[in-house]
Amino acid sequence: MNKIMYLEFERCIGCRACQAACRECGDHDAKERNYVEYVDFTESRQTFPMLCMQCKDPACARVCPANAIQITDEGVVLSAMEEKCIGCRNCTFGCPFGIPKFDFEKNKMYKCDMCYDRTRHDIAPMCASVCPSDAIRFIDFDEMQQLRRKRTQMNLVEGKKPQEGNKWDYVPEFFGVYTDQS
Amino acid sequence: MYKFEKSFYSKTSMYSFVVVLLLFFSMWYSTSKFVHIDMALLGYAISSTVFAIGLTIRMSFWMWRKATNRVAKRSVDNLFNKERLKRNSKAVVKTLIDNIILQKFIFQRGIYRGIQHFMISWGCIISFAITFGLTFGWMRFDLIDPETYQIIVFDFPTITMAAHGIFAEIVYNGLNIGAIMVLIGAGMALYRRITDYDVKVTQRFEFDILPLIILLAVTVTGLILTIQYTFLGGWMHHYMSLIHQVTVIIMLMYFPFGKLFHVPIRPLATAVPMSYQEVVKVDTKSCKSCGQPYSNDDQIADVQAILKSQNFDLQLADGSYLSDYCTGCRRRMRALKQMNLEAPQGNPYGPVNTNNGIHISGFSKKRSEEFYGLDQDSKEEKIDEPVSR
Repeated sequence: MNKIMYLEFERCIGCRACQAACRECGDHDAKERNYVEYVDFTESRQTFPMLCMQCKDPACARVCPANAIQITDEGVVLSAMEEKCIGCRNCTFGCPFGIPKFDFEKNKMYKCDMCYDRTRHDIAPMCASVCPSDAIRFIDFDEMQQLRRKRTQMNLVEGKKPQEGNKWDYVPEFFGVYTDQS
Repeated sequence: MYKFEKSFYSKTSMYSFVVVLLLFFSMWYSTSKFVHIDMALLGYAISSTVFAIGLTIRMSFWMWRKATNRVAKRSVDNLFNKERLKRNSKAVVKTLIDNIILQKFIFQRGIYRGIQHFMISWGCIISFAITFGLTFGWMRFDLIDPETYQIIVFDFPTITMAAHGIFAEIVYNGLNIGAIMVLIGAGMALYRRITDYDVKVTQRFEFDILPLIILLAVTVTGLILTIQYTFLGGWMHHYMSLIHQVTVIIMLMYFPFGKLFHVPIRPLATAVPMSYQEVVKVDTKSCKSCGQPYSNDDQIADVQAILKSQNFDLQLADGSYLSDYCTGCRRRMRALKQMNLEAPQGNPYGPVNTNNGIHISGFSKKRSEEFYGLDQDSKEEKIDEPVSR
């Protein structure tokens, strides 16, 4: 698997279809695991989708006292194992991106697992498959590189030249799941 | 003490040695110097000792983890704090009753799962208590007169009971009752694991299904033993008891290294109501950006310490840590950084400037260079640089 979750926050129209789709995914227990939020409601209507980065060395797993957060062979960071999770919410506070959610009723943590049953078979996750404005995409690594290049070129056309110190400001965020084999 | 520690290969082996020593002495004491030892259970005794060693090793390594260590240390410190006595006792009693005895949180996840887990766990607790009690000789029965049995616990005579009374029958059949409970629970769990599509998403055979098969093997062979000596006059009993012994040993060996290891982990859940629950008007941990209280002070201190000890560099330019912000603000910060929308005015807590200079309407307009501060010298750059928020 060499597919990438590709987010372009600017494209988000705030329809929350991704959240509705997330609720329908297997093992998600009718609760959405992603976020759609306003940048600053008093300033603009810009929204952005937010998913888990699937870190290679996840802070959430490192702060878990029960060692409940596991990473699959593909590199997907799963929700806390239900039998181990003691419900301390350290992961919620440890995550630099504020992703893990907590179900107080059932006393367990849940987080975006990139729809593991889908992405495991190279099928796009629920959120990416329904996004109408392509703010969330599930694409090949090469396609992602192309998109990023295009984005940089667009900035050049507009008269901006990225330099070593700030080149990352010019490309949209990308993350995803890599394997070393491919 | 240091020298004593150094005489072992590792700390873990020292702990294991101490545990084995304790087990041996408890056995020596409760069987009154091995007079009343049950030699038929010697195989179980040895495998239980190996099980204890495995459990000690796993617990040591688990406790050695930075996060576990920190949380456990905080709990132990709080436990002996006299000011928190009321809160602590409440937390311990609440966890014991709600999470361990009644297992309420699993019933919240579904009545089927609740019954299933309740059956497995209580069946296992009953069976383990009886098995360990008998193999280590902690508990034995003495005939004090032809009609009366006495239960002797740690070489101390306790209850007497009529040899054929109802209570005695319940005690004799304790293992059978436990086995039937586990049989029902594990059967329900296996059925759920096989048929439920939601569970299949993340389940792994060796982690989720194998322990159920092992538990079922133990209970089924144990129950067959009962059937053989009650209805079949002991037919093939000897061979079956060997098979049962093998399955039990497999279970005991598997216990510390598989899914069943969650049992010794659970008591740490006491730490949550004890140290991490937010107390209104006491905990003042509020988000640095939006000012809303979002957590317990101790918990954030712990999280930051754990992350720091594992070399996670999550400190921002203004010296605050990412965990000083509430989760909503953290998500917003990431999006703002990505969209280049961070406030260039110098006030990181001020309103967001949604015109970031990259996507200016129309091509003819010139972009404000000061936003990037690339060609300015470092002193000016510091003033105008967008401060991370």
